[in-house]
Amino acid sequence: MRLLLILLLTLQVNSLKADEIFNLLKIPNLEVYNLDNNKGLKYLSSKQNFNIGVKNNIKCEKVNKANLNKKFLIVKKNLEKYDEKFLKKINLRFVVLCENLFISEINTAGIPDYKKRTLILDINFDQKYFERVIHHEVFHLIYDSFKEIFDDKTWSAFNKKSFKYEDCSTCSDRLGLDLFGITDGFVTEYSKSIPSEDMAEVFSFLIFDRISIDKKIKKDLILLNKVNYIKSGLDKINNL
Amino acid sequence: MIKKIKASTFEKILFIFLIFLLIFSFSFVFIIKNKCLFVENIDLKKINFNNPNNIVVMNVECGNVIIELLPEISPNSVKRFKYFIKEGSYNGSSFYRVVKDTLVQAGDLEFGNIENINYYKVGSGQSKFGSLNSELSENYQFIEGTVALARGDEFNTEDSEFFIILKNIPLYTGEYTPVGKVIYGLDALKKIKAGNKSEYVLRPDYINYFNLLK
Repeated sequence: MRLLLILLLTLQVNSLKADEIFNLLKIPNLEVYNLDNNKGLKYLSSKQNFNIGVKNNIKCEKVNKANLNKKFLIVKKNLEKYDEKFLKKINLRFVVLCENLFISEINTAGIPDYKKRTLILDINFDQKYFERVIHHEVFHLIYDSFKEIFDDKTWSAFNKKSFKYEDCSTCSDRLGLDLFGITDGFVTEYSKSIPSEDMAEVFSFLIFDRISIDKKIKKDLILLNKVNYIKSGLDKINNL
Repeated sequence: MIKKIKASTFEKILFIFLIFLLIFSFSFVFIIKNKCLFVENIDLKKINFNNPNNIVVMNVECGNVIIELLPEISPNSVKRFKYFIKEGSYNGSSFYRVVKDTLVQAGDLEFGNIENINYYKVGSGQSKFGSLNSELSENYQFIEGTVALARGDEFNTEDSEFFIILKNIPLYTGEYTPVGKVIYGLDALKKIKAGNKSEYVLRPDYINYFNLLK
């Protein structure tokens, strides 16, 4: 019995994991990158590869310092578009920067976790979309924090009756992130996956490329309704 | 007739070396093994405190640890912390969780007392009072010696458990409720037994007693 106990305690937590950051975020192999910003955000980076999640299905790699220094400025610039109060309301406190982020073998730009107040970002994600997808991931934190404000059914009702979303965000291979020439209610191919991804795509264009989206809504009533829905939701959060 | 053999110079040097080795080994076993040997013993009578009502004394294997409480930052948490100290609830509480050179954690009143420690449940115990609301401060810096209440993954889950950090951890500012700061005796905490492979410690060190100064 005693031997079993010793074995259990020995295996329970690997000593490599046991540091002050793991204690807080339950993500191993991180180090503090930047705490000095006026938004109350805490930036961390991966000093080694890490695996987390159910059956370690989320994995991300160690950062290259030169790459990190360059991408941090981009991430910081984009997150500075939000004020500190708003970031607090949507539970964003820690930003983890790592390279080549995968969830269940699918490359992803970011993984938000509003309960842990953390956003993991892949700084190697396709540079063409990198800045915009930061806002896409921020929306997921907004959505998870305020599900009562952003309702899937209300959102789906904006679409044509013949349209049906997929069962999950990765249930099809339609993952394109380019802005459609003719939107017809959807800004990108990925918008057609599930309502929350559609909302996140609209939100990301509103924040990152307002001019394009303003042009589109002049000719697209469905998109106009969606944009107004997002704006009204954001107003509600700001007034809380 | 037995011929007397004279030791060579090499043999004499070897003999002297072995004598030194023996002395060193004995010293190591009896002196160096005493982990508290170089820890300064804090004599409370020699210290004048500005506000003795906010001073608490924790006694561990290597001596006294003197903590100044921070009621101006976390009044409710300090009130409860002081209550447990006054009641003697922390006496015998084990440092069941130790991250070497980083932090020591104790205060599980239900499963963490050295008299009846429950290795399966330690860290999940509760006091009779239930959870406290977090009292966070963005201005309080988590420097070496900060004493803070431990919590679950979410805020407002603090109870009786506390940890003391052994190095500066600026990341913790605004994340945990600070209740005090070690003003003397940090070296005694640095000698607390850590696990070899795990942050959870088998046969852990413990608090001998924890008292209010006044």
